[in-house]
Amino acid sequence: MTSETGFDRTLYERFPTTEPRPRDELDELEAVWCRPRSTWQWMTAINNNFVGVYYVGAAMLFFVLAGLLALLMRTQLALPLNGFLPQETYNQMFTVHGTAMMFLFAVPAVEALGVLLLPQMLGARDLPFPRLSAYAFWAYLIGGLAFFCSLLFGLAPSGGWFMYPPLSNITYSPGINADFWLLGIGFIEISAIAGAIEIIVGVLRTRAPGMTLDKLPVFAWAMLIFACMIIIAFPSIILATTLMELERALGWPFFDPARGGDPMLWQHLFWFFGHPEVYIIFLPAAGAMSTIVPVVAQTPLVGHRLVVLAMLATGFISFGVWAHHMFTTGMPTISTSFFSAASAAVSIPAGIQVFSWIATVGSGRMRFNTPGLFVLGSLVIFTMGGLTGVMAAMVPFDWQVHDTYFIVAHLHYVLIGGMVFPLFAAIYHWMPMVSSRPLSDRLGKWAFWLMFTGMHATFFTMHLTGLMGMPRRVYTYLPGRGLDLPNLISTIGAFLFAAGVLIWVIDMIRNFRPFGARNAGNIHDAPGLEWLPNGLYSVRSIPVVSSLYPLWDQKGLAGDVEAGRYFLPRTATGHRETILTSTLNAEPIALMRLPQPSGWPLWAALFTAGFFLLLTVQAYWPSVVSGVLAIYCIMTWAWSLDRPLPQKTVDIGAGIRAPTYVSGPASHGWWAMVITLVVGGMVLAMSAFSYVFLWSRNPQSWAPPPEVASLAMLLAMNAAGVLLAWGACRILRRGGRVRAALATLLMLLAVGLVGGAWGLDLSAWLATGLDPTVNAQGATVYAFMAWQGFFVSVAGLMGLFLLLRWMAGLVRADCPSTVDLIALFVAYTAGQGAFAGLLLRLFPGS
Amino acid sequence: MTIERAPEGFAGWPPPILDPAGPFAGPVNILSWILFAMSAVVLVVVLAALAVALFGPKRWRVRLGGERLVWIGGLAFPVVVLSALLIYGLGLTSHLTDDPRPGEVRIRVTGEMWWWRVAYLDGGGREVLQDANEIHIPAGQPVVFELESADVIHSFWVPRLGGKKDMIPGRRNILRLQADAPGVFGGQCAEYCGGPHALMGLVVVAHPPAEFEAWKRRRLAPSLAAGLPSRGTEVFDASGCGACHTVRGTAANGLAGPDLSHVGDRRTLGGGILPTNQGTLAGWISDSQAIKPGNRMPAYPVLSGEDLRAVAAYLESLK
Amino acid sequence: MIAALSLVGACADKTNTPRLIAGGDPSRGLAVIEEVGCGACHDIPGVGWPRGTVGGPLKGFAVRPLIAGRFANQPDTLVTWLKDAPSLSPASGMPTMPIAEDQARDVAAYLYTLDDH
Repeated sequence: MTSETGFDRTLYERFPTTEPRPRDELDELEAVWCRPRSTWQWMTAINNNFVGVYYVGAAMLFFVLAGLLALLMRTQLALPLNGFLPQETYNQMFTVHGTAMMFLFAVPAVEALGVLLLPQMLGARDLPFPRLSAYAFWAYLIGGLAFFCSLLFGLAPSGGWFMYPPLSNITYSPGINADFWLLGIGFIEISAIAGAIEIIVGVLRTRAPGMTLDKLPVFAWAMLIFACMIIIAFPSIILATTLMELERALGWPFFDPARGGDPMLWQHLFWFFGHPEVYIIFLPAAGAMSTIVPVVAQTPLVGHRLVVLAMLATGFISFGVWAHHMFTTGMPTISTSFFSAASAAVSIPAGIQVFSWIATVGSGRMRFNTPGLFVLGSLVIFTMGGLTGVMAAMVPFDWQVHDTYFIVAHLHYVLIGGMVFPLFAAIYHWMPMVSSRPLSDRLGKWAFWLMFTGMHATFFTMHLTGLMGMPRRVYTYLPGRGLDLPNLISTIGAFLFAAGVLIWVIDMIRNFRPFGARNAGNIHDAPGLEWLPNGLYSVRSIPVVSSLYPLWDQKGLAGDVEAGRYFLPRTATGHRETILTSTLNAEPIALMRLPQPSGWPLWAALFTAGFFLLLTVQAYWPSVVSGVLAIYCIMTWAWSLDRPLPQKTVDIGAGIRAPTYVSGPASHGWWAMVITLVVGGMVLAMSAFSYVFLWSRNPQSWAPPPEVASLAMLLAMNAAGVLLAWGACRILRRGGRVRAALATLLMLLAVGLVGGAWGLDLSAWLATGLDPTVNAQGATVYAFMAWQGFFVSVAGLMGLFLLLRWMAGLVRADCPSTVDLIALFVAYTAGQGAFAGLLLRLFPGS
Repeated sequence: MTIERAPEGFAGWPPPILDPAGPFAGPVNILSWILFAMSAVVLVVVLAALAVALFGPKRWRVRLGGERLVWIGGLAFPVVVLSALLIYGLGLTSHLTDDPRPGEVRIRVTGEMWWWRVAYLDGGGREVLQDANEIHIPAGQPVVFELESADVIHSFWVPRLGGKKDMIPGRRNILRLQADAPGVFGGQCAEYCGGPHALMGLVVVAHPPAEFEAWKRRRLAPSLAAGLPSRGTEVFDASGCGACHTVRGTAANGLAGPDLSHVGDRRTLGGGILPTNQGTLAGWISDSQAIKPGNRMPAYPVLSGEDLRAVAAYLESLK
Repeated sequence: MIAALSLVGACADKTNTPRLIAGGDPSRGLAVIEEVGCGACHDIPGVGWPRGTVGGPLKGFAVRPLIAGRFANQPDTLVTWLKDAPSLSPASGMPTMPIAEDQARDVAAYLYTLDDH
């Protein structure tokens, strides 16, 4: 095998080192990674050991809150024509229950698990963008709480978690309730994408040296695929929610058939996100299962490669099944056949994982501790959910059971078996590593059996309730239809389940200790790096990994790591840092400096939340102020980044020297920007789909575009913008103060050209007299304009930021990353402007 | 006088999905049982494999604990089963959504918040008869339902006759249903449509074909009671009921609410939720919001007891 | 019938004792109430929905001295009232109900179980 980066792999043989370590080395490391001392420091902590715990805690809080709503709803449905909850309250509750469980619990919970576990699993000191984690967490917590509290004021949305228009439009959902839904989703979009960037870069670029992709733990694989799926799927919901808010606030008719829109567009966009979403939730949980099963069975996972391939296949196929939520909407038979086949096919990779777990259990010896029980429970429940899923994938059967309690049963089997039980297994499994002591095994078994029994009582019965004709999302049902008994059983089951969760909550409170204490040790005899002795700095020294199960196969690893006999046994520069490694073979490339705790991400999250919240309650001027403050906070936060250190290279262990600064594709910032732009590109692609979709509904009403002549200028300006941005990067690298000034100037010109091209395009459309409120063509055209305008504004802010940095003398040849990243953004914006210009003029043409 | 049980024809047992009453629901019933059986077998196999893996003798567990199990159980087996199922399942319903053919009975059902507007069409698609919340069909022949929506998305579902189909604003969906024998079949809106979605039911009544024709002829004429002067008609007119409701043969020609030309002849009131009698009619007219909260009809606290009874009696007489 | 009346008479001074209706079955009465839709106008304990507001709420009906504020709350009067209220009170909003004598008795029997305050 040749080296990926030119790194000489024989250097790995220097480890473990034998010479004694200096005495104060560990003290320095602990001082740099010190625990927070004041409340403010606790709140502004950014280390994954803190943010990860906060994150999991917040997600579980929303799980309990949304679960309480479920109990209230089950109480209402315990009897026919019950008067426990009024209709509107019930409708708000099921909307909030679904929304909160999907967006505020499931996605953040698995993401939180990744934030909490990945650095330790990969042998990194922290995730690559700890401040981004903190920002994502606070935005999520504030937004989630605001969304949930809307229920207390009767301001919660009542259109269902899928918010189908026209029911969710301003005519049928007046008031700001639906806007609160869009608000809550908006926050989760921000935090999910921030987390996904963090996870992709973390998994690909901060692994312990030697951890090649075939030695990557299966959980990290799952999180990697999960994060990539977020990057591809979430843009669809970003676009959908943006269009819906534009329709609600400004009357742009994307979904209004009377003006050329189509409510089906929402369904396509929503489910293109919504179905992969299910697998987005399921994959990390399955990854956790594939990690825990080998531990409880004390044997390697059977078919590790097959399982990874199955997860990849799940990721791919899940983007081809969205329309199975729409079998009853009157789609052509050919489409339903395709989606039916794909929906059935997606059960195959799931089956591979299930049988891999069974085979693993068979080749080892099962330990029936609490994580083991939750793993087994998950396997059974998830299999049952998968089987009803295959049933519902059959179109004729789906036509009967669609939107009945049969589907309610199916989706709860899949989600509870595929996500909730694995999550509980994970919490019981990893708690000794995170907290100072494990959870009680005795209470855990009580919790398991109550949840397992309650789950089946509640939801197995619902299969029958559905076959008996009870539709979903009904606040009551009529007596005399035989529905009374199954509903009563379901209600009793729900309370059993809740009792199990309550026991877990009590145990958590009992177990609660201040974070960061030394862990309880590797009490499960687990093989992953996260079970190495660790502190707030993660591992004392970063080991060279030579096995998929390092703690099982590399004898004496824990002792050597703790004695500092591997990479980076100290702080090399006096800052927080970890090792930047290569994508495929994890060869050390550079020392990655990590930021210190800071209040700016918290302030930025607060003002971002303030901006959207104030906008939702229609306090426009305060919201503008809050938005400006948010931008100020983000800029201040970014101001301290991209500073080169005085030491150009440092010893990262055993005399191996590595640079302290890299730029371009080797750097983690470059990767993060590229992934962000992929998100932008996906939104653009979905917009193009929406445009063509709406045109195909109503081609005769499409007005001709501005004359094609205006296109030449548009393309030329955007192309020039790209060239100048590229030139700025090249010139800066050649060094010198004049060239730095020239680079800054070129970049500002590039921003100006791209912005000018946008202005030109906008004025050309305004000149045609097309009105965004009159028909769907106007709405989509101006939506493209608005989207490009948003990018141009951000590019403008970046230009301003660059100018300020130049004035402060921070635009220099030895730290070109800021200019690189701005150039990437400007180039993308130019490409987007050119694409939109071409699409809108050439299709469908005049 | 006696009352009939379950006027809405929607009984939960046996489960309507597994109790088909026509050729479009029948094959789905067979498919359902095939799927149940397949699922039961697969579940038993998985649980048995798990039991062996957990508790089996060492020799068995070794055989189980290899990648071969994953290949066979996880890949080969589902591919075979799923392919067979797909080929069978997709063939069942493909013809249900074709456009109307000449000679077929055509009925347009429009979803409204939260009731059903029903129109019987002639061969050219023209409307010949308006009704609401109750659909009459001839037994023994396919009936084409043309499904539309006036406001939000609804879904039309009569489980014993076949699957459901959404009613989407701006679109027209086709669904064929057929009842093999005369009878009353309950239906329900299946797509959440806000507010009292839970209380948006309907009734389908299948007649022998000749009786259906007779029923239709009878319905084409206004109700005999429509023209008769009475206290009820006076109050009906004076209260402005005609602004929203139509009673053919009178001045009442409103289109916002359900057609009342033969309301006394309907089995249910309020969209399949209450029996029709003078008492329920009086309760509905006076304060329907207490019965079906959120529905579009306001309460009428201006009517005296006698007036209320008179209107209820008048409406009940519209047969 | 006479037996029933004498029973009722014997209990007339004890307002908390449910009045008895010979042959009336309260549970069948509740079924009739639900089938015929009495809830469309009345809020009746034991009937979750509808809870109509048009007629009076029937909570504590068994211990109420008057029917509709006008007639002595005696079994025969109640049965007549249930079947054909306008015959007793032409100005009443309560219409003639499509129930037979025995069904009316069952309903009355049910109403006389509603003795909670």
